[in-house]
Amino acid sequence: MRIPNKIEDLPTSTNRFIGKEVERVEDRQLLTGRTEFIDNVSLPGMLHCAILRSPNAHARIVSIDTAAAEAMPGVVAIVTGKDALELTLPMQTVPEGWGTHCLATDRVRYVGEPVVAVAATSRYVAEDALEEIVVEYDPLPPVVDTEKAAESAPIYDEHESNVVFQRTFTWGEVDAAFASADHVLTEKFRWHRLGANPLECNGVVSEWDPADGTVTARGSFQSQVNMGLLSAGALQVPSNKMRIISQPHGGSFGGKGGPRGTIITALLSRKAGGRPVKWIEDRMEYLAGGAGQSWDRYYEVSLALQKDGTISGLRVKLLDDLGASAEGFGAVSAAKPLAAFTGPYKIPVAEYDLTLVATNKLPQSPYRGMGPPPHNWVLEQMVDLAANHLDLDPGEIRRRNFIPKDAFPYTIPSGNDYDSGDYEAALDAVLEMGDYASLRAEQEEARKQGRYLGIGLVNTIEPGVFDWNAYAIVGSQQTGVPEGATVGIDIMGKIVAKVGFSLEGQGQYTVISQVLADYFGVEMSDVRVVPQDSLSAPPHFGPGGSRLGVAITGAVLGAADILREKLIRVGANLMQTQPETLELGDGMIRIPGVAEAQIPVAQVAATMLARSDLLPEGMDPNPEATYVWTAPGRTPADEQGRAKSYLTAANACHLVLVEVDRDTAEVKILKYFIADDCGTRLNPATCEGMTQGGVAQGVGAALLEEYVYDDDGQLLTSTFMDYLMPTIYEVPMTDKKALVTPSPFTPLGAKGMGEGALHTTPAAVMCAINDALRPLAVKAHEVPASPKRLWALLNP
Amino acid sequence: MPTPRQIQVTVNGRRYESTVEPRLTLADYLRHEISLPGTHVGCEHGVCGACTVLWNGRAVRSCIMLAVQADGSEITTVEGLATDGALNPIQQAFLEEHGLQCGFCTPGFLMTVTEMLEHNPNPSDEEIYDYLGGQICRCTGYQSILAAVRSAIQKKASA
Repeated sequence: MRIPNKIEDLPTSTNRFIGKEVERVEDRQLLTGRTEFIDNVSLPGMLHCAILRSPNAHARIVSIDTAAAEAMPGVVAIVTGKDALELTLPMQTVPEGWGTHCLATDRVRYVGEPVVAVAATSRYVAEDALEEIVVEYDPLPPVVDTEKAAESAPIYDEHESNVVFQRTFTWGEVDAAFASADHVLTEKFRWHRLGANPLECNGVVSEWDPADGTVTARGSFQSQVNMGLLSAGALQVPSNKMRIISQPHGGSFGGKGGPRGTIITALLSRKAGGRPVKWIEDRMEYLAGGAGQSWDRYYEVSLALQKDGTISGLRVKLLDDLGASAEGFGAVSAAKPLAAFTGPYKIPVAEYDLTLVATNKLPQSPYRGMGPPPHNWVLEQMVDLAANHLDLDPGEIRRRNFIPKDAFPYTIPSGNDYDSGDYEAALDAVLEMGDYASLRAEQEEARKQGRYLGIGLVNTIEPGVFDWNAYAIVGSQQTGVPEGATVGIDIMGKIVAKVGFSLEGQGQYTVISQVLADYFGVEMSDVRVVPQDSLSAPPHFGPGGSRLGVAITGAVLGAADILREKLIRVGANLMQTQPETLELGDGMIRIPGVAEAQIPVAQVAATMLARSDLLPEGMDPNPEATYVWTAPGRTPADEQGRAKSYLTAANACHLVLVEVDRDTAEVKILKYFIADDCGTRLNPATCEGMTQGGVAQGVGAALLEEYVYDDDGQLLTSTFMDYLMPTIYEVPMTDKKALVTPSPFTPLGAKGMGEGALHTTPAAVMCAINDALRPLAVKAHEVPASPKRLWALLNP
Repeated sequence: MPTPRQIQVTVNGRRYESTVEPRLTLADYLRHEISLPGTHVGCEHGVCGACTVLWNGRAVRSCIMLAVQADGSEITTVEGLATDGALNPIQQAFLEEHGLQCGFCTPGFLMTVTEMLEHNPNPSDEEIYDYLGGQICRCTGYQSILAAVRSAIQKKASA
């Protein structure tokens, strides 16, 4: 197997597509409204589901009366917790044992928890039916205050407390490092709940075949294999009888993995005699009860600091509020920072004191980047505080602590390796782009006029190519995440790539088309990417954890290489030579250096399918090959959670200038510069788009987005009027520069990318706000830094 | 249940006669009754703008308008922009500038930009922001959309 590590090693003398800003193959359908999103799917006899949700944060269910609803014309099936108890297992959680069934069985634990589901002939009728259902509740005191959750009455009878997980991980001689430090800085931080909010909410159409017990579910699913395993497990259906079809989806950002909708609609379909049942989550369902809330965190962070600015130790104490269960992989999110715990710095020792509690709020779900966005903010803010403490420039203190470019691969205290990087180059690049000295002068001048400008200058690592082993500390058992592709050439010379994931917005079908067009010397339009369902596709995971661009490139290049070997064997027979004398190049099977001694790949492939008489003895006549790529060199975690987990370490440096209005406490972003390095760029325009999109979400995180619960556990931000999504007015247009330090370990040298800007922007904006507020001697250590919150700081 | 009403609507130049419940939203009518699912529903409360269509030439949110309100009117949806699969200049500009990622919000942006350029072929940046400020995109961070709009202005001017 030969998977090229460099674009130059592809079998083409004129690289035409990969690495270039090509048109996306996904876009023509999207631009004409023809892409099959899940709500476009309509099957014969299909019913529509609506879900009755809990109005209480915490209550026992005394009774449920569905008689009136059942009697309504058009209502075909109703399921409650009783059906869930009888027919399903609780949904899987990480850590184990902190979950519920798909519908509440005896008590509700958050506002928005599904209680009853109805299938009817239209969504309108199904929602009418919800009005006729009577649920009697006996309210219980809700646990809402995260900091008091551990001492509050347990929300699960089977657990003694609300502490889901508590452990301290120590990597190196941390006590000694702090004892010998010249300075120890300690600060507290608070990051409020926010979340993914793709423009398309979740949706699914399930069919339960009563004859053979198979279930087919189509939906806006991020990972088919995960959806299959999670829903089959809960439904007690054998995994090979659960068929998952992922439709193109309108964004995910981590939140399209939960099986609850699939389980509920499958149960309804079973009760409706096998008729397909569709559930399309609406926005208010999503905000209150969907997979859209993440990271509800309290931090206490300490740095051990030497006089010269060297950081000699890091302690992070995190209390994270998972909400009412661990079904949404919130615990995984708290474990993710292990993959890049100490950022781009050569901090030699570190400690992570991690407490996860359950409360009566919506269970947390993954969001782009998983755990690092808050972690990076508190780390970077501490580095700024250290710079202030020693009266050093924020760039200078970072420079003194960077892992040097000749130190890679570099093992960080929490166990992961960084593959490559040049952090000083990224810092220098933004300082030059933004003309840093002039920004400081502008700030100085503004202060004389009573205006508060601030500069944020931060560096982060984006762990790429996610691996389950990063989450061993909370119970994940696997090492490696396989991704497969089948590549074939048809009798007309056209290429088909079969994969196990659908469109989500990152342009992976384009990357596949670029790679294969260059590999086989055809046009991108000669390549078609065809998604397969979960039972037909090679082993796969799909998008997630800045992984798929690298993984799918490895998979299609591996398959292409196996196919190349076949073509060469056949070509050798046709040209009456030995296979060793032949190569694939520029779309030809040829003898190097001998002009004319070449046959087009299409002709060789056609020979395999149409001229069995010309094939070598015993030759497999299929011009198709499958390869499953998994990251090399990964290791299981040791008992302190240390593992070679994420394969790549992209890095970025952001420089931002903000102004804080002293009177209104509004923050305006005035200038924004980015230098980022994700190794080889497979499609630079896509990389740039991923970065800018991450900036937008990062601005939302820093300034706008927040789920607010009141003391009764009622959600106060239940529409887009209250949960503030960034618009073009808030998101800065950024100046970007690409640096390229290829990964030595990946297909074509590409690094995982896509989450990095959300890892970085909140830190950059918050550091800038704090820089602006420095003369006023206040610290903004709570995110989002909304005008209300900042105003309170400025007007104590 | 109120009595269903008869409506006549011209959508993308084609006339439709339908009997609909008064409560049926225009978005649901377009998507599910006359099979034009290119109009997407992102929030169903009029904030995100994904469902924007042109109603007698004006950009409206089809999720908070009823089908019966469209009786007798002309509607244009994203399906009405391309001709025989050939993208119009605005769509072409979004394609070239990578002005979309997941594409779910895109029909709403395209319709809003269509309205803007009908009324004002050469808008200032401030005017562009004013129009786009009511459309939410969760993927792109708006920079490539802004570039696409500027490019569309050029394309239409030179067409």
